[in-house]
Amino acid sequence: MDKMSSRIKVLALLVALMFVALSTRLWFLQVLATTQFQQQARDNSVRFVYTEPLRGLMYDDRGRPLVGNQESLEVRVNRDAMGTQAEAVVYRLAHLLNVPVRMLVARLQTNRYYSFQPIPVAEFVPPHVRDYIAEYQELFPGVDVVPTSVRAYPQGRTAAHILGYVSPIFAGEYDRLKNKGYQQSDVIGHSGLEQVYERFLRGSQGIQKFIVNSNGETIRALGVKAPTAGDDLHLTIDLRIQRAAERELADELARARSGHDINGLPLKANAGAVIVMDAQTGAIKAMASLPSYDPRWLVRGLTKSEADYLYKSAAAPSLNRAIQLGYVPGSTFKPITALAALKEGFATLGGYYTCDATYTHPGDTSGTVFHNWTTANLGTMSLAKAITISCDTVFDGFGSKFYFSYVQNQLSDSGLLLQNDLRELGFGAPTGIDLPSEGSGLIPDPAWAKTRPDLFPDGWVPGGDILTMIGSTYMMATPLQLAQAYSAIANGGHLCRPHVVDQVVAPDGTVVKRAEDRCNRTIPYPPTDLAYIRGALGSVITSGTAQCSFSGFPTSQVWVGGKTGTAERPPHQDTSWFAAMAGHNPNAPKYVVIAMVEQGGFGAEAAAPIARHVIEDIYHLPNNGQGGCAVGDR
Amino acid sequence: MDMVAGRVWADERRPVRHIDWVLLLLTVVLTIVGLVLLHSISATTPDEAAFWLVRVMKQGATAGLGSLVVVLIASFDYRFFKVYAGFIYLGALVALVLVKIPGIGATDPSGVAQRWFAIAGIQITPSEITKVCAIVMLAAILSEIRAPEPALGDLVRVLAVAAVPLVLVFIQPDIGTSIVLAAIVVGMLIVAGTRLKHLLVLTATGLVLIGLAFQLGVIQDFQRERLTAFLDRANVSEDARYNLDQSLIAVGSGGLFGRGYLKGTQTNLDYVPRQHTDFIFTVAGEEFGFVGAMFVLLLYALILWRAIRIATLSKDPFGTLVAAGIASMFAIQMFVNVGMVIGIMPITGIPLPFLSYGGSSILVSFAAIGMLESIHMRRLS
Repeated sequence: MDKMSSRIKVLALLVALMFVALSTRLWFLQVLATTQFQQQARDNSVRFVYTEPLRGLMYDDRGRPLVGNQESLEVRVNRDAMGTQAEAVVYRLAHLLNVPVRMLVARLQTNRYYSFQPIPVAEFVPPHVRDYIAEYQELFPGVDVVPTSVRAYPQGRTAAHILGYVSPIFAGEYDRLKNKGYQQSDVIGHSGLEQVYERFLRGSQGIQKFIVNSNGETIRALGVKAPTAGDDLHLTIDLRIQRAAERELADELARARSGHDINGLPLKANAGAVIVMDAQTGAIKAMASLPSYDPRWLVRGLTKSEADYLYKSAAAPSLNRAIQLGYVPGSTFKPITALAALKEGFATLGGYYTCDATYTHPGDTSGTVFHNWTTANLGTMSLAKAITISCDTVFDGFGSKFYFSYVQNQLSDSGLLLQNDLRELGFGAPTGIDLPSEGSGLIPDPAWAKTRPDLFPDGWVPGGDILTMIGSTYMMATPLQLAQAYSAIANGGHLCRPHVVDQVVAPDGTVVKRAEDRCNRTIPYPPTDLAYIRGALGSVITSGTAQCSFSGFPTSQVWVGGKTGTAERPPHQDTSWFAAMAGHNPNAPKYVVIAMVEQGGFGAEAAAPIARHVIEDIYHLPNNGQGGCAVGDR
Repeated sequence: MDMVAGRVWADERRPVRHIDWVLLLLTVVLTIVGLVLLHSISATTPDEAAFWLVRVMKQGATAGLGSLVVVLIASFDYRFFKVYAGFIYLGALVALVLVKIPGIGATDPSGVAQRWFAIAGIQITPSEITKVCAIVMLAAILSEIRAPEPALGDLVRVLAVAAVPLVLVFIQPDIGTSIVLAAIVVGMLIVAGTRLKHLLVLTATGLVLIGLAFQLGVIQDFQRERLTAFLDRANVSEDARYNLDQSLIAVGSGGLFGRGYLKGTQTNLDYVPRQHTDFIFTVAGEEFGFVGAMFVLLLYALILWRAIRIATLSKDPFGTLVAAGIASMFAIQMFVNVGMVIGIMPITGIPLPFLSYGGSSILVSFAAIGMLESIHMRRLS
């Protein structure tokens, strides 16, 4: 028995060792490593279900709806709930919806949704489908017809480029934005205001937290956060003017195509843009670009041909030509360069300048000759007259002076007077409008010339400055940059940042964001210079290159000033331009109107009539012009 | 003081005077802890709560029945079992054979193992009963050895007697109970004074046999997977890894003080498979934390202390050996079960005494307590 009791101690020791092993391991699991296991337990059991908020709406400047939301009856299928009947249910559903079975199967075999989430398989189904499924629910386990919110466009195609569209989030965007609460199944603004104001329009998701068991069944709700609708956008756009601008542009494109270019070929007039801007505030009242597209296509899903047209065709209808492309501005640029010449003292208000048929840079022996648009020598004239009749050679002479200033100050940028003046007037950089992908245009200068040895084999030459003076050949501006500069002339020297949204208003009525201080940049020109230019622009209408286009226009009721432009764009036909300002007060005209027609011929031919008719529409005047006149500057 | 009654109770030979109250109290506390843990699994939906309440009541009723078993067995003189050890042993063997005969034994839902009789809706698992029967038989043989340590011939005899039920249990297949039986044999041989040399040879032989079992495919794939899951996490099936992972998450997430009664998500949301039976310890770990888990282990340590104390106190070798065998049984079941739950032992399907849901396990554990009490009560006679 002594041996036994000593052996019992051995057994007791073994048992004690067991407890040591278990306690040590428990200490590790429950004290040292518990944080990791607690996280895993949470991941196991908590599921989130998101409710999409209603997207913010858009209104014009008088509260007329531009973008709304509409209900789409959406068929959703919960795969788990179909159970063993899955195949039969899909077959019945395909028959009911009149779509191929494999299309339904394809939409169900998606990894964009969690398995417990219902998957949308059809949109905009008729109510009778909902009623049928409700009546025979036992034949359609797991199938729901639910109302969802998608975009609605009460004005149809109007302002499509401004409003933009939403479409499913791209894979790359999702990776970038998932931390901000975006889901793989979300839509996101991909163009226009929908893109720029995405964070306001989107609103905040509703989140429901559920505790689920190991089968994924919901046990109870942990918490609910109701969705908050997105903020509404109140635009500066005036729906009436917007419609007028689009209508006049479309009409004129169609009419211009019956005309011919200087070689006798039919004008293509394939595209164009119109901008109406409030010159005193920078508010865009209308912005049209053709060709365009119908945003409703994207709501119900693009067909193959629509997708090809939108994204692949040469017409590039998704491009907003009013802001996204730089064009050679032609003679619409002369009032701008005239200001620069005045500022630098190369021209004076009292001076007279020679308007010969040709111009040669002083001392130039290369044989380069610059031609005016007419072969006649028109004698000497004031700066105003040179603008009125759009004399190229007067401006060519100023260009030489700008070139000499460059030559004398080659070691610094201070000699680039013309380029610096143009930048001061907003050219060469985006205006900062609240629309995406704005173009910068181009101000030709010696640095740029170095990058283009094909065009400037000998570096910067007098022609660089001379051609820019008349807005020709290399100078590029977006219609919007031109609108901004003309507005500065109209409003007495304030460079206003153009904008489309006036206010962002939260669902509870508080103003989240307001367009303020848009005109806080001033340009260094005395009011007398600006008034002088406005006067010259008025003469263009009454006795200059646009006299024909504006014949019969009641300038006594509404003052109009403007400038034609006919920009050569080889090998294409000329770009037709007209830049105008109009208002009851000639000293502070309210509106600037820019019209541009690609391959539209003379400025007076296609663009001027558009501007005239838009101005008539703005002021409720009858459209009684006879259309374009194939005359004027080149 | 009533002198007459005093004298009667003072009679040293009256067994009831020597009940081990501490052991009984520990048994009751552990059983109640088991019911509390079982009840916590139910806290999800009302339907499930009702379903689990039935189980809690069934388990409570079984424990009530178990108390009767304790009283019944304790009232017998344990030496009585030594006399009938041969019959007890043979009875267990017959049950083990019968359970394998189709139509008599019941197949478990997975269809893999055939382990119990279904009699009047009650499951009777012969392998559970075999554990106690084997203890009695082995103690009877070992206690008759008069030498200070068993001779080689004695050892062979003992091993032969132990091998028969062990093989029968193993082919059911019930690897868990096989391990328990093996541990009982080793524990009793240690206490019986077996030479260290013999014990080492025996251990080596056991390891070779286990290796052979793997090699010859006696151990089936699903068993191999569960056995090796804790060693080689990468190469096991999703199911085996899932069971261990969820178990570790449950215990680990409990932290120092636990997530609170009925508040363990792993437990309440049904993430741990077989939680009411083999993985009941996870409930203690998750809801009562390290402190709660250590409390449960402490209860086992105290029960084992009482069992070993009884083995020491008994003046009769048979009583000492039976108590040592029971201590070995409880110790190995506790160690392998908790070790499996916390990932340091293979997943084998050994119930945790007094806590795991299941009639046979509870009743056999109570019977063992009854046996310990019987030895304790008659240690002086």
